[in-house]
Amino acid sequence: MSDGRTPIPGPSPSKGEGNFEALRARAGLQRWTFYFAIGLWLAVFAGLKLLVRPPMPASVLTIYMVLTTLAILIFVAANEARFRHFLAPLKAVFEGRVPRTLQVLVLTAMPALLAWGTYLRTAPSFDAPFEPRVVHPEPPASFPFHGKRIAVAGLQNPLRTGGPELEKRIAEGKTIYYQNCFFCHGDALGGDGHFARAFTPIPANFRDVGTISMLQESFVFWRVATGGPGLPKGATPWNSAMPMWQNFLSEEEIWKAILYIYAGSGSTPRTWDEEVKNDKQ
Amino acid sequence: MTSNDLRWLAALLLLAWGPVQGAVPAGVRMEPVKAVPVAADLKQGKALYERYCNQCHGNEGKGDGPAADFVYPRPRDFTLALYKVRTTLSGQIPTDHDLFKVISAGLPGTSMPAWKKYISESDRWQLVHYVKTFDSLGIFKDEPAKEQVAVSEAPKVTPELIAKGKEVYRAKKCWQCHGQYGRGDGTSAEGLKDDWRFPIRPVNFTKGWRYRAGDRVEDIFRTFTTGFNGTPMPSFVDAIPSAEDRWALAAFVKSLTRPPKNGQVLKARRIAGEIPGDPYARAWEEAEYLDFPLAGQIILDPRWFKPAHDVITARAIYNDRELAILLEWDDGTYNKGEGGKPADQVALQLPAAKITGDEKPYFVLGDRRHGVDYWRWNAGQGLARFTAAGHDRVTPREAGNVTAQGGYKDGQYRVILRRPLTPSGDNEAAFEPGRFVPVAFHLWDGHQGEEGLKMAISSWYYLLLEPETPLTVYLWPMGLGFVALGGEFWLLRRLRRRRNEEVKP
Ligand code: HEC
Ligand code: HEC
Ligand code: HEC
Repeated sequence: MSDGRTPIPGPSPSKGEGNFEALRARAGLQRWTFYFAIGLWLAVFAGLKLLVRPPMPASVLTIYMVLTTLAILIFVAANEARFRHFLAPLKAVFEGRVPRTLQVLVLTAMPALLAWGTYLRTAPSFDAPFEPRVVHPEPPASFPFHGKRIAVAGLQNPLRTGGPELEKRIAEGKTIYYQNCFFCHGDALGGDGHFARAFTPIPANFRDVGTISMLQESFVFWRVATGGPGLPKGATPWNSAMPMWQNFLSEEEIWKAILYIYAGSGSTPRTWDEEVKNDKQ
Repeated sequence: MTSNDLRWLAALLLLAWGPVQGAVPAGVRMEPVKAVPVAADLKQGKALYERYCNQCHGNEGKGDGPAADFVYPRPRDFTLALYKVRTTLSGQIPTDHDLFKVISAGLPGTSMPAWKKYISESDRWQLVHYVKTFDSLGIFKDEPAKEQVAVSEAPKVTPELIAKGKEVYRAKKCWQCHGQYGRGDGTSAEGLKDDWRFPIRPVNFTKGWRYRAGDRVEDIFRTFTTGFNGTPMPSFVDAIPSAEDRWALAAFVKSLTRPPKNGQVLKARRIAGEIPGDPYARAWEEAEYLDFPLAGQIILDPRWFKPAHDVITARAIYNDRELAILLEWDDGTYNKGEGGKPADQVALQLPAAKITGDEKPYFVLGDRRHGVDYWRWNAGQGLARFTAAGHDRVTPREAGNVTAQGGYKDGQYRVILRRPLTPSGDNEAAFEPGRFVPVAFHLWDGHQGEEGLKMAISSWYYLLLEPETPLTVYLWPMGLGFVALGGEFWLLRRLRRRRNEEVKP
């Protein structure tokens, strides 16, 4: 069947392509270019689809895959020999130098794949609209609290003093936490209380490095005091189940609860000093 | 005598003692208890307990920690050594492995969490040792469990086995408490109390996610073989001596369960013709359902920590004129608002106006700037409609174009709410195919005294009228496919011609 013009890729080294072992090895590898390209494309796709959690939206995935396709094509086309090897299997199919069934299979599979890909694009999607949410928005300069206004800048936890007093306050904070917060934020402060799954966005996980351990207590006080309704627009205040705790707790109780969520999750708040240092850098 | 001899003597005595101590019912195979891998260090156990457990179970293990009044069921009082999830016979204390398993995996459907995520294995063993010290009768010390019920592998579950189990379920009167369809609505379900005199309800078998002792066939088999100590749920080994019958029963109970089916978008499919008013009609059975998890309303005053309901199921369909939503939930008691108890209720919440962007009303009863349209069905009084701009600004309005039909059957409510697609005024959401409309649910169980803000709530979800798929959706891919095919043939022809030309000269 072979007329010897374009070799059908395979492990056997072709004749007359240089005598050096290394060259031959490279040529040997190069003849697999087409399959490498397909394999690489599939691997990237599978990786993005299966390993990235939470799953990325379909539109983002499409962008990544278009970029991947372009990158692979550019790489392949950059070297003439490589490009030739890349096209070889396709040419072999079109020129009929492969078994008939394989030819028919490939020639029908390509339009079918294209049609399927198009269908995936045109088919209506019924996924919920994507709603981006700012998790840690800029706090306001000041906010209303029990009839007065509290300024966020420079606000510090007045109860965070040393000594045995602190232990007692943390213990009191624990009681406040388990009578008010654990339903949502969880027994072990993991954001998985027995009501948590009923709420979107899910309650914050205080053990996660992305929540209270990267926040200042002033920010946390603002969040606890004003809850979901106190959030600015970009943080979708209408969805947050976080209650407005100034309706239920005194100023001191909120500071105690805050002492406990840090102590219980084994984290420490960011301080103003750190903040100043970071700003200078 | 050496100490070794002594040990042998003790073992012999125990062997002789065993059968006397507690007669093993016929049809139950026992096996020795496994050894405990970690020795007790009570000081460490106490520290762990005071860090992780005392807020519920109390410093003295009496189940009276500061959180105890805020959860149902109540945290366990350890002083009486009464445990539910065991592998030991009815009335006996659990094995250490039983306690370890409960502490590790938690009790689904209660506030008792699975601690394996947060506490290391050896620390969990320390907690097992420490929890046992609360036993005021000293049973754990004097007569530790030596044998446990051996549960062999479940037989293959077949329709015949399930049918046989159904017969056992009927004959052994499980339905008296658990109800005919397992919804916890049996004739004796009401007024049950546990050994601590707290009210208790039979388990709803359909909720597979709430079996505290596990919902595999083997688990269910073990549960009614051992019984739940301290509750009205007895052991049924004496009543159902044949293991085969018990396997059949377990298979039947398992067949009543269904996993929750959650999602963000409730899709209404378009049907031709009338939307049936009978909630048991084919069109409704065929409509796709979704389960929406509910939580206690603990955001606004007065808060409600122990909601009766944890889920509501919804389906939706529409035709060229109207949209209908079927709401379904299990309730052990039918309350129409008589006998001093409020009526059972359900409410559907929609935005009161067209929403722009992703901005929505506050998810519980809206806010000052964004009102909600609130349709509430009451088992005694039927439909009432409100506009709410915050929980303290709820104003009644004419039901207008909204109608409701609801009923209670076999421990389950089914309520159909419907409205024409075109809004009748400005303060109503438009239902248009392809448009996402926010929707939320509220649910009340009058039997538990739920009314007003004492209710179970959901967050916002979406309702979507599935648009009919336009023909172009199929035409484009087909067209492109054919163009590609044509291209291939053109290329084939060209290549062949070129080859023929090359061969000729
Ligand atoms: C009804 C459920 C619920 C209860 C009860 C609740 N929270 Fe929240 N909380 C949430 C949700 C949901 C979020 C995440 C959404 C948000 O940021 O508003 C959150 C967020 C927070 C945050 C922000 C964390 C961050 O990284 O920005 C803090 C701090 C917090 N909660 C503290 C508390 C404290 C303290 C209590 C008890 C006094 C409490 N919460 C009770 C639901 C709840
Ligand atoms: C948020 C409250 C809460 C916390 C914290 C908690 N429990 Fe529980 N626990 C419960 C409840 C509620 C029950 C009873 C559920 C029932 O009766 O169905 C229970 C039951 C138990 C049982 C009895 C299980 C049975 O089979 O009868 C054990 C043992 C137990 N808990 C151990 C612990 C240990 C150890 C810890 C600490 C690591 C702990 N619990 C922390 C709420 C809690
Ligand atoms: C006298 C009323 C009564 C009868 C009769 C009864 N049960 Fe129960 N059952 C209960 C109660 C009450 C509970 C819940 C106990 C609790 O909440 O701790 C329960 C719980 C259960 C559970 C535990 C589910 C879990 O959480 O893991 C199973 C399984 C069960 N029953 C099966 C049966 C079967 C099978 C029968 C018939 C052979 C039966 N029951 C008969 C009252 C009853």
